[in-house]
Amino acid sequence: MINVQDLNIRLGNRNILSDINVEIEQGKWTCLVGPNGAGKTTFLKALLGSQPYSGSITDAGVEVFRNHDRNVAFVPQHPQIPIGMSVSEYVMLGRSKRDGWGNESKTSRSLVADVLKLTGLFGMQTQFVSQLSGGEMQRALIARALVQEPTLILLDEPTSALDLHHQIAVLNNIELLKERGVTIVSTMHDITLAAMYAEKIVVMQEGRVLLHGTSDYVIHSPELKSAFENRINVYTLESGRPVIVAKKDERS
Amino acid sequence: MKTKVNESGLSPIWNWKITALSFVLLFFVGILAISFGPVSLDFEKIIRTLFGASGGLTGQERTLLLDLRLPRALLAALVGAALATSGAVYQTVFRNPLADPYLLGAAAGAGLGATIAITSAGADLYSLLPIFSFIGAILAVLTSFFISGKFFAEPNSLLLSGIAVGSFATAVQTYLQQRNSSSLRPVYSWILGELTVANWQIVTWSSIYILIALTILITVSKQLDGLMLTDEEAYSLGINPNKLRVIAVIAATLATATAVSASGLIGFVGIVVPHLVRGITHRVTNRGLLTIALVGASFLVLADLGARTLLSPAELPIGVITAFVGAPFFLVVLRKKRMVSQ
Repeated sequence: MINVQDLNIRLGNRNILSDINVEIEQGKWTCLVGPNGAGKTTFLKALLGSQPYSGSITDAGVEVFRNHDRNVAFVPQHPQIPIGMSVSEYVMLGRSKRDGWGNESKTSRSLVADVLKLTGLFGMQTQFVSQLSGGEMQRALIARALVQEPTLILLDEPTSALDLHHQIAVLNNIELLKERGVTIVSTMHDITLAAMYAEKIVVMQEGRVLLHGTSDYVIHSPELKSAFENRINVYTLESGRPVIVAKKDERS
Repeated sequence: MKTKVNESGLSPIWNWKITALSFVLLFFVGILAISFGPVSLDFEKIIRTLFGASGGLTGQERTLLLDLRLPRALLAALVGAALATSGAVYQTVFRNPLADPYLLGAAAGAGLGATIAITSAGADLYSLLPIFSFIGAILAVLTSFFISGKFFAEPNSLLLSGIAVGSFATAVQTYLQQRNSSSLRPVYSWILGELTVANWQIVTWSSIYILIALTILITVSKQLDGLMLTDEEAYSLGINPNKLRVIAVIAATLATATAVSASGLIGFVGIVVPHLVRGITHRVTNRGLLTIALVGASFLVLADLGARTLLSPAELPIGVITAFVGAPFFLVVLRKKRMVSQ
């Protein structure tokens, strides 16, 4: 369980996050949604422990800031593509904390090979990461997170810039992590997809938490519409799944 | 392009054969360098002399080998390794393939320090030239750090302040030279780089600093891979990226300042060697860094051999050789690479 209490982050003279109080459940998928600039990415960095903050974020009772004993995987929205690194080396980086940087144990090798197969990257393990397409790169990132065997994975917009087919492929790969008991926190633009995969949704706006709870509760809450300035419609499919669609501006 | 695979079907991080080959290369280039010159020495006799066996070189040849050629080859190797490694490290830290060891003002600072030593003829500071240029280089880089202020937030601000500090130091240097026109020639020849001053004293003190710096850099070389990722990824994989950057830049600056103060400004090594090695090892971090150090050492020993022998008995500035040979060679490699990738 990750407990966030009175979290505040100021950068310069701007409040990026204000008075955040949420609980993130162990082994569940929590999704942060909200418009651009709502502070979602900064929140992820704070959960990682690399971003200074005031207030308190505890993971299993221990403050997270600069706590290097935790094993947290981070999947950025815009990864830096390393030069001259093969896909298998890139995924192997996920083992760095266990094996030491640049070393690879036998266990790690077979694990990396397994995960490459699992994520459909085994055929291209000798290619350079710089040669991968957007979807393949995203899978490589997830593969690296998988071999890291983290307790928590943070994903920043894991499906942005992917076509629908690849979005589903990546989200299914993330679900693999959940099956292994990993706590997942991701940001996502697409609330429909968020509702489909995440158990919990946190709606953020201008650095504050507007509303949070189970996906079902959040999706059907009237406050959701106000968070998006009433520019969305929520429909329910026959299967019971909600679909959130943006409203077209009506011109008079 | 594809890399090789090992038994689990993964591509290995390190091809030890390349590193071993660069060791062998350095050894042979070293032997060449101490054998050839205006007076050629017999290889077998060199070995006998070095191992103190009988039947070695005669008195004069012995002096030539032990007091001139050997320290000079060693200094060239040290300086080459220092410049090539620092270049690769700066390129990684600043995520800029054109970053070179002189970028943060080290070259201009050392130039200013050397000019002060040369122009202050009255006080006879010429023997202190290496110390002056070392201090100049370190002070210039420290000033760049100080001015940029937020190195962590924006690596480019450090590069920019390095350029500003460099320009300022160069302006002061030019002013000093104009005031003391008799010093133009020695300053100019120092700027072009020279290993003629090599003696055991210089080899000893420069080897201490350079080896300390290189040891630090090779130790963190595997973690330097992490600097090719975003800071959050590096952090999640167990690296403190800011701390690593500071360690790497300090060690690379120590190596550069020592190299510059021992041998003047030898250009091109810090950019060409990392790029050449990258063509083979694919990257300059991790175990590629050791290969770069070895190839850099070989490159400069070979360049110095050219400087001594091409116009023998006259001697060319080594900086001229590194640029004259290095630039076209580099262009050929670039062109070949482009043709392969097309």
